Amino acid sequence: MKVEVDDVTVAFESHGRSVVALDRISLRVVAGEFVCLVGPSGSGKSTLLRVVAGLLRQTSGAVRIQAERPGTPATAMVFQEHALLPWRTVLANVAFGLENRGVARAQREARAREMLALVGLTRFARHYPHQLSGGMKQRVGIARALANDPEVLLMDEPFAALDAQTRTIMQEELLRIWATLGKTVIYVTHSLEEALLLGDRVVLMTARPGRVSQVFPVELGRPRGLEIRASQAYGVLLEKIWSQLREEVVRAMGDDRGA
Amino acid sequence: MSRRSGWLAGHWLTVASPAVLLIGWELAAATGLLREAFFPRPSTVLAHLRRLIADGTLLAHALPTLGRIAWAFALAAVLGIAFGLAMGLWRRLRESLDPVFAVVYPIPSILFLPLVSFLVPRGETALIVTTAVTSFFLIAFTTTEGVRQIDPLVVEAARHYGARGRRLFTAVLLPGALPFIFTGLRLGLGFALIVVVAVEIVNATYGLGALLWLSWQVLKVEDMYATFVVIAALGAVLSYGLAALRARLLPWAQDVAER
Repeated sequence: MKVEVDDVTVAFESHGRSVVALDRISLRVVAGEFVCLVGPSGSGKSTLLRVVAGLLRQTSGAVRIQAERPGTPATAMVFQEHALLPWRTVLANVAFGLENRGVARAQREARAREMLALVGLTRFARHYPHQLSGGMKQRVGIARALANDPEVLLMDEPFAALDAQTRTIMQEELLRIWATLGKTVIYVTHSLEEALLLGDRVVLMTARPGRVSQVFPVELGRPRGLEIRASQAYGVLLEKIWSQLREEVVRAMGDDRGA
Repeated sequence: MSRRSGWLAGHWLTVASPAVLLIGWELAAATGLLREAFFPRPSTVLAHLRRLIADGTLLAHALPTLGRIAWAFALAAVLGIAFGLAMGLWRRLRESLDPVFAVVYPIPSILFLPLVSFLVPRGETALIVTTAVTSFFLIAFTTTEGVRQIDPLVVEAARHYGARGRRLFTAVLLPGALPFIFTGLRLGLGFALIVVVAVEIVNATYGLGALLWLSWQVLKVEDMYATFVVIAALGAVLSYGLAALRARLLPWAQDVAER
């Protein structure tokens, strides 16, 4: 098992009330698997991702990540708003993690160039983030994560801010990169269509408190492209998950309005 | 059409309005509309300026002023940046110093001269310290803001990729605050010029402020205007010099500022 999330609870104080963001969540991910977390706003998808990344400490429970290569980090995150360092060139941004770990310049830059080639940004190594489009910035974000050669790649709605066409291109690119590198991926998204296009499994979460409601295997074959949307199996699965998700969304909206 | 004449076509008002003002002034003074005793013609002022340069008077007064600005600016920059960074990083320090700064900052700097004269050896040191006071506050304020406006998501991402402690400071917080620090330096340098002239009027034998005041007192009005011109030119050169330095050192912040 690559990632084991055991009974993880995250609670915090907000306006004097205790809010439970995650309620005894358990999740297992095998090596090389692509898992998508889907759920209404407030279901704690991003919170779970941040706990796995070590950016947020759980109140109770445990997260174990099986490490195979000593010296490389367990996780690397691709952030929603790319979160690149504006004062660093594309190359220096991608090399940032290696630089922090004390990798020699020649070595880290070679690695960064390799990753830039993988995401198709070789020509933009000397550019600054503000000179790039949204899609290109997110490619840099992916290259930065991959440069660290993490055990698990974490992605927090990485394409949510992109326009529809760019998003589609980026999804195809991500599938190609994933097929090339065989990384374990945990991917948070609002979009069921995206989850079905990318994931091996879709984990549906509930809101307030965040729990795992149901797990759906996505048996649509690989390699997968946009053409799967035309298949009957896709439509059936989408309908099945949506009927569940719909209930959760409506319930979450009711909570917002009431109480 | 050449590039230069293209620029002129786009900015003809910028060139035309001061030209019209100067020509109008020249004509008004020549025809007696303005009293030449108080408003000498621009051409006369220019002739006096030439004489002040030729006989060495201007240099004898400009050098002490430049020296004082240099010392005062260095003092204000070093202390202002140090205090600003510390206040940006530590909330408690900021909360304890904010009220003190808020009370002291609006006091016209010139009023510190007598106080400073008690504290430090009279003469040059008192002039320099007084000149530095307002600049110090401006640089400290903008530096504090510079640290605080850094996107928390960028800081989180940098931490996630292994930037901690000193590394977080030098690779993230300092470069992130630099555009604001430069704005503070530019404002601080401008105020150093304003205050040094005021201080020299009150308490110096040599200096552009002293020359200005002396020329006025003995009714050498042309020399007074000539000194005005020199002070204005000095201010413009210092301000644009620092802007050019910023463009060179912070290429990543330039396009953002221009947009």
